[in-house]
Amino acid sequence: MIVARDLAKAFARRGQAPVRAVESVGFDARDGEITGLLGANGAGKSTTLRMLATLLVPDAGSASVDGHDVATEVMAVRRSLGFMPHEAGIYPRLGARENVLYYARLSGLGAREAARRTDELVERLDMVDFATRRAAGFSQGQKTKVALARALVHRPRTLMLDEPTNGLDVMATRGLREILRGLAADGHCVLFSSHVMQEVQALCDRIAIIAGGRISMVDTLPGILERTGCANLEDAFVHAVGAHGAPAA
Amino acid sequence: MNARAVAIVAIKEIVDNLRDRQTVFYALLFGPVLLPLLLGGSLAASFSQLSIDFEEVTTLPVAGAERAPNLVAFLAGRNVDATAAPEDIARAVADGDAEVVLEIDEGFGEDLRAARAATVRLHLNEGDKGSVRAARRVEALLGLWERTNDALRLQHRGLDPTVFDSLRIVHEDVSEDGATGQLLASLLPFLLIVSMVMGGFYLAIDTTAGERERGSLEPLLALPLERAELVLGKFAATVAFSALSAALSALSVWTLFRLFPSDLLGDRVRFDAPTVLAALALSSPLVPFVAALLVAVAAWTRSVKEAQTFLGVLMLLPMGPFFVLQFVNVGAPLGLMPWPMLSQYLLLERASLGEPVALAEVALSAAGTLLGAALLLALAVALYRRERILR
Repeated sequence: MIVARDLAKAFARRGQAPVRAVESVGFDARDGEITGLLGANGAGKSTTLRMLATLLVPDAGSASVDGHDVATEVMAVRRSLGFMPHEAGIYPRLGARENVLYYARLSGLGAREAARRTDELVERLDMVDFATRRAAGFSQGQKTKVALARALVHRPRTLMLDEPTNGLDVMATRGLREILRGLAADGHCVLFSSHVMQEVQALCDRIAIIAGGRISMVDTLPGILERTGCANLEDAFVHAVGAHGAPAA
Repeated sequence: MNARAVAIVAIKEIVDNLRDRQTVFYALLFGPVLLPLLLGGSLAASFSQLSIDFEEVTTLPVAGAERAPNLVAFLAGRNVDATAAPEDIARAVADGDAEVVLEIDEGFGEDLRAARAATVRLHLNEGDKGSVRAARRVEALLGLWERTNDALRLQHRGLDPTVFDSLRIVHEDVSEDGATGQLLASLLPFLLIVSMVMGGFYLAIDTTAGERERGSLEPLLALPLERAELVLGKFAATVAFSALSAALSALSVWTLFRLFPSDLLGDRVRFDAPTVLAALALSSPLVPFVAALLVAVAAWTRSVKEAQTFLGVLMLLPMGPFFVLQFVNVGAPLGLMPWPMLSQYLLLERASLGEPVALAEVALSAAGTLLGAALLLALAVALYRRERILR
């Protein structure tokens, strides 16, 4: 469960006015649901996720993950959160399994438990074929699986993914969707950001539309279509964004 | 602070970097093997070119040997056997077929009998070190022959030959071992410190700036870990590589200089096991200092390339004291002892010359260096706590 209220974040620039990356972001992402953060590039998606992941401290507003405040209960938030950033960022000289195991150990699992949990994920995410190979030559799909396994290894209740389908081919994308649906069905809260309409439409139970650092609408897909009076999400997105000012470039 | 987390980070970085050829080359081969061979080899070569072994039997092409049977016999008595001279003397020397050729003038015998200066020509090639060295040996022997002859001429005329010696110059070299000893003694700190820096260089860059560039830092920072634990883990891995590199290069110095002829090393410079171990112990506080410096600088830079540039310039730091101490005799006041690197140079140089090192000096050197390491480490942690570390 993620609760965000009026989050704001600006970045100082030398000799220039600060960039107001996020001005006012508020939404709920519930357990057992997949919530999509839909917005153009530069709309503030990554900054929002980084604040929720305790990597950035919000200038204003508040947020909590599974009831833990992101500003004051940093370690509790990190323990209940699995975060897969924009870049997979896996270690090329380590094998797939070693990459996951490293995160398992760092998250506090004992040696035996870490190995057991890693094997479980290797099985579940269909990584057996390349589990012992070094990651240097992995395809984007393989890298994404490793990164996902890494984010899940400490059994977080909440999972956040920043544009996870970037660079994935059709089959890999479908595979990832299946995995995310399975996680939601198990009762996890899944929040993912994307700028791809079809992606969000195909996967999300609930959609938060973000533009210019502000949330302009949060609802289910039918709800959004009804409120905007549009026939498809793309038109609804343009409508929603237009109502709250032009999206950031 | 959780020691377990620090250990997990350190072990991962060590395993990861042991698989990186560049890191392993610089940690295990460059400082420990390549550098000592290069320095030791060139030193040995320059020594053997400078020193002349008068007992070595050699040959000397002599033109007109029949005109000076006495001189030829004198040379033969001093391990220089005359051989036939080449047809074209100048060409043979220029081409290197003969290092030097001695040419006896036609009027040699007549001049000697008339008590005039007899002429011999020494053909040599100033551009060739071997030729110059051979010429020096022949000249030294000719000078000896000349002095004996002069003395005989004077005595023949009833004069004491020492009348012509109005000045006697006596060399009193207080350095006991001369400049070579000093140079050799500063070699050990130089090798150890450069090995430490090169040993941790690529690991520090890979684990900090490299981690940022690969995008692996962001998910790592989102784990339930203190930033200090992360930095300490990376620092510990750097320390391991630096220490290993320094220990291996100490081992190779010890091995290499056992193969050196002892007369080349002089009387005082010792690279025996106790000396090398003492040097390693005296320089050990530098390992955390160097590692902290590398990690802090690499954490401050924004990319691998920038880190390499910055640290590349920083590499000159350990070389600084080496070159300065070649030209300036600073002595060893206590005030210099707290300075990292400089104090280790001074202490190690004295250790390899067999000079005593006071406990107070060792303590000051270690304290100053470790304090520096702690400050740099604190700086690295502070850099990791910034939000900007992700950008």
